Amino acid sequence: MIRRLRRITPFQVILVTVFTALAAFMSLPIVFILNHAFKPTNELFLFPPRFFVQNPTGSNFEQLFLHATNATVPFSRYVFNSVFVVALTLISVIVVSTMAAYVLAKYQFHFKQLILSLITLSLMFAPETVGIPRYLIISGIHLHNTYLGHILPSLASPIAVFMLVGFISQIPGELMEAARIDGASHIGIFTKIVLPLAVPAIATISIFTFQGVWGDVETSTLFMQDETMRTLAFYVNSLLSGLQNSVAGQNVAAAAGLLMFIPNLIIFLLFQRKVLETMIHSGIK
Amino acid sequence: MGSITFNHVFKQYKGESRPAVNDFHLSIEEGEFLVLVGPSGCGKSTTLRMLAGLEEISGGELYIDDKFVNYVSPKDRDIAMVFQNYALYPNLSVYENIALGLKLRKTPKYEIELRVNRVAKILEISHLLDRKPSQLSGGQKQRVALGRAIAREPQVFLMDEPLSNLDAKLRAQTRAEIIKLQSDLKRTTVYVTHDQVEAMTMGTRIVVMKDGVIQQVAPPKRLYDEPANLFVAGFIGSPQMNFVEGSVTREEGRYYFNNKRMKLLLPSAYDGLFDRMNRAVRNVVLGVRPEHVLLKTPEPDDDEKGFVTSAVQMTEVTGADSYVYVTVGESKIIARTDPGTAYRNEDKPAIGFNMSKLHFFDENTGISLADGGDEE
Repeated sequence: MIRRLRRITPFQVILVTVFTALAAFMSLPIVFILNHAFKPTNELFLFPPRFFVQNPTGSNFEQLFLHATNATVPFSRYVFNSVFVVALTLISVIVVSTMAAYVLAKYQFHFKQLILSLITLSLMFAPETVGIPRYLIISGIHLHNTYLGHILPSLASPIAVFMLVGFISQIPGELMEAARIDGASHIGIFTKIVLPLAVPAIATISIFTFQGVWGDVETSTLFMQDETMRTLAFYVNSLLSGLQNSVAGQNVAAAAGLLMFIPNLIIFLLFQRKVLETMIHSGIK
Repeated sequence: MGSITFNHVFKQYKGESRPAVNDFHLSIEEGEFLVLVGPSGCGKSTTLRMLAGLEEISGGELYIDDKFVNYVSPKDRDIAMVFQNYALYPNLSVYENIALGLKLRKTPKYEIELRVNRVAKILEISHLLDRKPSQLSGGQKQRVALGRAIAREPQVFLMDEPLSNLDAKLRAQTRAEIIKLQSDLKRTTVYVTHDQVEAMTMGTRIVVMKDGVIQQVAPPKRLYDEPANLFVAGFIGSPQMNFVEGSVTREEGRYYFNNKRMKLLLPSAYDGLFDRMNRAVRNVVLGVRPEHVLLKTPEPDDDEKGFVTSAVQMTEVTGADSYVYVTVGESKIIARTDPGTAYRNEDKPAIGFNMSKLHFFDENTGISLADGGDEE
């Protein structure tokens, strides 16, 4: 029996080969971005293009920072805005969504079903469709050129609430009852029992909230007229869009592309194990 | 410390016609081990949850230590509960699981440590204190759940089918441990189970419930010997009590039990029962436990001795005993016999009853004629 388990069948060999090839293919863009950012200008325009860098150089980044310092707003301002907005949004989305999801998953109250349906319903709308009403609301409450204007629109995250409701409702009710008998308050049950158990789901929503906010250009374009309130994503985007057909700034664009990508990769690597747990959990129970 | 009084307690769920718990009226004394037993859906768990404060009480009053607690939250009732699926906090270690209740009650740290270690020693889980619940076996989890309840030193322990997730051997072992623990700690314990063996072995008093209504409250022996009605008689004991329908008639000053196939002269000890049942037709159900059914080879004078012919359908050998399933007319009867005497199918042994161990129930109401039911 044990021998049979250990033996590698031809099928397994094929499976591993195919998946390795597939994984390698999927990682090509990442490898390309990494290499591209370090290519000197002459290599960037080689034809046929090369995948790997021959003579790596840091000059692209130098150019990027130089280009930025020439602009009216320093590069560091964009970075600060981005980091500040992302951090605050992430924290508030987690706080709001987990609390909402806990109540929706574990308590009985009037109109609960209606609220859940509304949340599901709001998943249907593409961001573009709510662009105008969102603009009217932001301008109506004068949040132009404020950090709140960045954070508020992404605060209510139906997909996060939706996922967390699914996850939290699988936590056995007896755990909460045991905690109630042990003397925990509602907040105590939430912080001591529910939050720690929901960490995998929180990790998942953190990843896509981060990606959404970090890469978001729309908020800076629509709501922020003051250049000092705009984010890195907007800056890089405007840099790239200005360069689409020009030869001159391609090296800067390559460096900026990598710069935008790195944080996403880091966040994903940090949380991916927890994300897998979410998937396993939702599969079994 | 730890007396409980249910004063006509009701539980009515919205949209259901019949109450889940119907007029539950009972006093539990301090230090008592009370077992609630009944088939699933009989309201035993609901009763326990009302006592714990996890379920609202729809009507009636509940007192713990003569304090009215209908609206007191679970944490202020000074109770601890052990759940069927253990309900250990998966994110906390065994130590933290046991300590959480104490921590939340602002017990000083040195005392928490003292109590957790003492409890761990009693339950022999000292070596597990650093582990997470997911690293424990079912039996170990159950011990931790017990430990969590004990460490708080509450007035009342509530246990909701705590053994039903364990395998048979572990269940018997843990059962014995809970009994010992309870007698050592002398705390009032209310224990819910659907397993009549558990109920009989653990409880100092047993409450049998059905459809939300208390059927009988009595110590185990009394419940077995003097069931108050047909339901209790059938529920307690395995295999269950045999029931034979018939009527009781009076001839020449003596009572006889009759049906199509048998006519039994009843000992005069039962006369009182039937005298009270002052009707022309006394339709009854005769109940007799398998161990009080006698099987023997047929003899010519069987009729006078109260034996009738039966037909063997099947035999079950459990090792210590064997159970012989026979039919007498339309009645199916199980007899417990010595496994030494083998009966084959289609054998026709004579069957008789131990006449001093018969039970009689009113055919219409199911209530025992002995009226030995309700407690005290």
